[in-house]
Amino acid sequence: MTTKHTTEDIISNLPPVLSHTDAAPVHIQGNQMGLCLCPVCKKLNRTTNSNCRRCYSKLATRNYASVQQSWALLVTATILLVLANVYPITLLTNRGVVTNDTIFSGISHLVQTGMFPIAIIVFTASILVPWLKIFGLATYLAAISFNLPISKRKLMVGFHVIEWIGRWSMLDLFVISLTVALVNMGQLLDAKPAPAATAFALVILLTQLAAKVLDTRLLWDRLEKTHDTN
Amino acid sequence: MTQIESPKVVKKKLFSPIWLLPVVALILGAWLGVKSIKESGIEIMIHFPSAAGIDIGKTLVKYQGLTVGKVSDIGIDDDLKGVNVKVIMDYRADPFLNQNTLFWLVKPKASITGVEGLDTLFSGNYIAIQPGEGRSTTEFEAQREAPAILPGSEGIMVELKAPKLGSIDVGSPVFFRQVPVGSVVSYRLDGKKQIIISAFVQEQYTHLVHKDSRFWNVSGLKIDASLSGVKINTESIASILAGGISFDSGSETELAKNGDSYPLFHDEQSAIGGINVTLTAANADDISEGTALEYRGIKIGQVDSKQLTDDGVQFTAQVNHKYKDLITPDSRFWLSGAELSLKAMKNIGRLVTGSVISVLPGSQIATESMQFEIAPQAPDLLTADKLALTVEANTHTGVSNGAQVRYKQLPIGQIINVNLSEDFAKVEYQIEILPEFTRLVTQGSFFVPESALAINASLDGVSVATRDLTTMLEGAISLVPAKSKTLVTANDTLTLYESIEAAKSMFAKQQMRTMTLTSIDGADLAEGSPIYYKKMQIGAVSKVNWQAETDKFTVDISIDKKFTPLIKPNTVFWRNNAVAINASLAGVDIDVAPLKGAINGSITLGHLNTELANDTQANLRLYDSQALALMQAKVIDLILPVSAKITANAAIRYQGHQIGEISQVKLDPTLTTLNAKAYLYGDYAERFSRDDSEFFIVEAQISLAGIQAPDTLLTGPYIGVIPGNNTFTTNQFTALNHARLDANVPADAVRFQLVDNQLGSIKVGTPLFFRGINIGQIDGYQLADSGIDITLYAHVETQYRHLVNQSSQFWDASGIKLDVGLFSGAQLEAQSLETILAGGIAIATRDVTNDSNRLSANDRIKLQHKMLPEWAEWQPVQAR
Repeated sequence: MTTKHTTEDIISNLPPVLSHTDAAPVHIQGNQMGLCLCPVCKKLNRTTNSNCRRCYSKLATRNYASVQQSWALLVTATILLVLANVYPITLLTNRGVVTNDTIFSGISHLVQTGMFPIAIIVFTASILVPWLKIFGLATYLAAISFNLPISKRKLMVGFHVIEWIGRWSMLDLFVISLTVALVNMGQLLDAKPAPAATAFALVILLTQLAAKVLDTRLLWDRLEKTHDTN
Repeated sequence: MTQIESPKVVKKKLFSPIWLLPVVALILGAWLGVKSIKESGIEIMIHFPSAAGIDIGKTLVKYQGLTVGKVSDIGIDDDLKGVNVKVIMDYRADPFLNQNTLFWLVKPKASITGVEGLDTLFSGNYIAIQPGEGRSTTEFEAQREAPAILPGSEGIMVELKAPKLGSIDVGSPVFFRQVPVGSVVSYRLDGKKQIIISAFVQEQYTHLVHKDSRFWNVSGLKIDASLSGVKINTESIASILAGGISFDSGSETELAKNGDSYPLFHDEQSAIGGINVTLTAANADDISEGTALEYRGIKIGQVDSKQLTDDGVQFTAQVNHKYKDLITPDSRFWLSGAELSLKAMKNIGRLVTGSVISVLPGSQIATESMQFEIAPQAPDLLTADKLALTVEANTHTGVSNGAQVRYKQLPIGQIINVNLSEDFAKVEYQIEILPEFTRLVTQGSFFVPESALAINASLDGVSVATRDLTTMLEGAISLVPAKSKTLVTANDTLTLYESIEAAKSMFAKQQMRTMTLTSIDGADLAEGSPIYYKKMQIGAVSKVNWQAETDKFTVDISIDKKFTPLIKPNTVFWRNNAVAINASLAGVDIDVAPLKGAINGSITLGHLNTELANDTQANLRLYDSQALALMQAKVIDLILPVSAKITANAAIRYQGHQIGEISQVKLDPTLTTLNAKAYLYGDYAERFSRDDSEFFIVEAQISLAGIQAPDTLLTGPYIGVIPGNNTFTTNQFTALNHARLDANVPADAVRFQLVDNQLGSIKVGTPLFFRGINIGQIDGYQLADSGIDITLYAHVETQYRHLVNQSSQFWDASGIKLDVGLFSGAQLEAQSLETILAGGIAIATRDVTNDSNRLSANDRIKLQHKMLPEWAEWQPVQAR
């Protein structure tokens, strides 16, 4: 609903030249009206302009390549997430004994030691969220690319959830970086990030990027096009 | 809109370059995967007897401290005899996993065989690996304990064999010239008698270890406490705590190899070694293990061991090899300890450190096995030039070995040895005279001991002479050279006299005339008692001997040669009494002997006035007194009745004249008699020693008639004697209680017997009166055996003998005869006052005496009780 309002507001704020479109239905899109937003400074430009009148950024009504980019990033993130889960994420030296912990073994340690709340948080942040995010993104991209029949409503909710929750995935890295900084007693007790940490960080970064890169207008296009029964 | 822009034809890209990203990620992932697969390690299985100390996921496999694997699983083997430990080995360890590769569990272990794995106390147990050769395998059997030699990529590992561990421990440092160059890695028991210590030498020092290097233990402190101070030696502080091993480089050029084996010596001394010598001694006094061998005060070795042999003690000594040239077959060894005397204090330190064995190097060529005798004293290198002499003494004078021999108080030699002579009769001193003084010792020289303190106390005063301290402590002997020019030769025997005086007297004795006197007693004489002649000493008693057979004494005297003319046939000797008080009724004569003689007893030599033809044997008797001597008294033995009150010095008298005296009286052990020794004066001895001489005891007899032998009241009883007529003489007489009745009757007196039936007042000594003149007396009386009468023995003096004959009448004139008649009146009749008191016998003779009517001793005449009147008429004219 808000989007509707927003669209209506935009339309209402359109210059008078566009006033003939007042009667147009709300699902009329800007590109149909020959308008597009500057992706940088958000200035409304005519689609005929190749560059933004204000910031001279390149204008495009739709960025179809973004789907591809998003896919590529997502695939990369997926690969890296696999690596992040397989390889140890921390390297703990306890009295000379070096222990490698993967994310999962870390969680299982927490479970074994009875710290369920922390285990749940870590599990959520380190395993559930990244996977969900990748899965969700893949769903949207698939929905864009392959016109999957997913209800508009679900897509909308999911998209917001993913966007909101994605940032929490960095929790793990925070924990690691804090541990590394604090637990530093040489041979006696020392924690170091293992290769998986990098991978995990990249996963978070790439999923964020994948979400960012995707030209959501394509999604809306699809939503507009299809007759949503909901 | 007016201007239609030419459409831009955008070529649609089929693939965005963004796709490179997943490709890169894929490649990265694949690479990581490949890498992790590649590095995932090799799973091997090690069979352990027990899983104790092995933890899954924790226990590591280490090689030289580097982790090369980790235990992944532990399972029990099929036959339940142990555990199979699965280990994930580092992929790089693959080349090491061969058949001969060894695995063992390292854990902190302290047992009899070794201590190892101290590091595991902190890091936990681990499995050690030692790569070996052989074909590749993944199944191994674990070693029970660490192999002796750990592979050292740097440095070398040597095995040290020691009989005992000492304080060496794992980690004990290995020193080279006190520089730590390695450490002990492990040790273990090899069999029952040996410990093998593995020592590691770091690579940069391996060139120091040669095939002939020697290793020794430097553990702990070496405290060398001597009088020069306490020296504490240690390689390092670490070696005090952890023990340590030191080694020398040796001389061979060939370097040691890994695993070379060396003996570990217990100290540097034995490590460096040297040559062994065998020393023998009679006993092990002052020699113990560790006793140093010294040459010129430098320790060149020490005694290592000692053991008893059949004839003494045998020592094994080790001489430091740098001094081994000093030991040759003609080397000499002697024991030298501290010399502590006031003369000198040498090597005081040895009082504390003990004696040392001094060594005098020889000049011969050393041989393989050498055996030496340990001399008790240092060999004297000047022996050849010194004059060795034997000095004999009667007694040991207290000089000790090493005491000086002096001449004019200058040392000219020393006493080497003091011993008894072979027949134990004398003490022999072996002395040495220094070469430069040998000319002093001439034939006839003698020695006297130096007395530290000579106190000469005599009647002249007291003189005290002291010598130096050395003399006081060690004694010394002084040479008294003779005038002779002839030198003594080596090993001659000289004499040590007690003093110069003794020597002089000894020499004088040799110049003296000696005689032997016999004495009935010891005569208070002692050796040295003087002999006087006219109160001048002319000699001395040299010896007094008791003769067991005769119970007499012989007195050996020596008379100065210059007085020998005094020894003549009429020489007699008597002993001097200290004080001779000759107190008699005639006066008191006191003779005091010279004081020395008074104290020591002394003898006087004198001469008889007349040249008696007595045998010299008699002259050599020692008389009790001058009188006896001059009388040439003869000794007789008298047996006296036990009741006799005869004492020594009682006189022997004949007719009141002294002819001898009693010397001593002794109660016979049978208590029945007294044994007396008596002298008969030489002039009369012959007569009175005839075997029929009679001796009797004369005591004072007091009666009304008078006192007989009144002098005995003062002098005590004496012995009377009647000379014998036999030609045989004897020395043994028995004295009677009384003299024979006629003992005092002159031989030519007229003797006869009177018979009476009553003794009345007649006593022995009752006088016979002729016309009131005493002409004789009663000598005795006797009761007839029949008991009917009494026989009186009487005699008439010689000059009156003609007044009595057989016609004589004898009547008892004793008492007072008082006739009282009525008409005749009183008539008092008495012979004399004496007869009133003592009785008396009156005589009247009728006929003229002639040869036919003389009285004889056997004539028995009746004693009348009354004088007949006619007897008064008898008046024969007698002629002598």
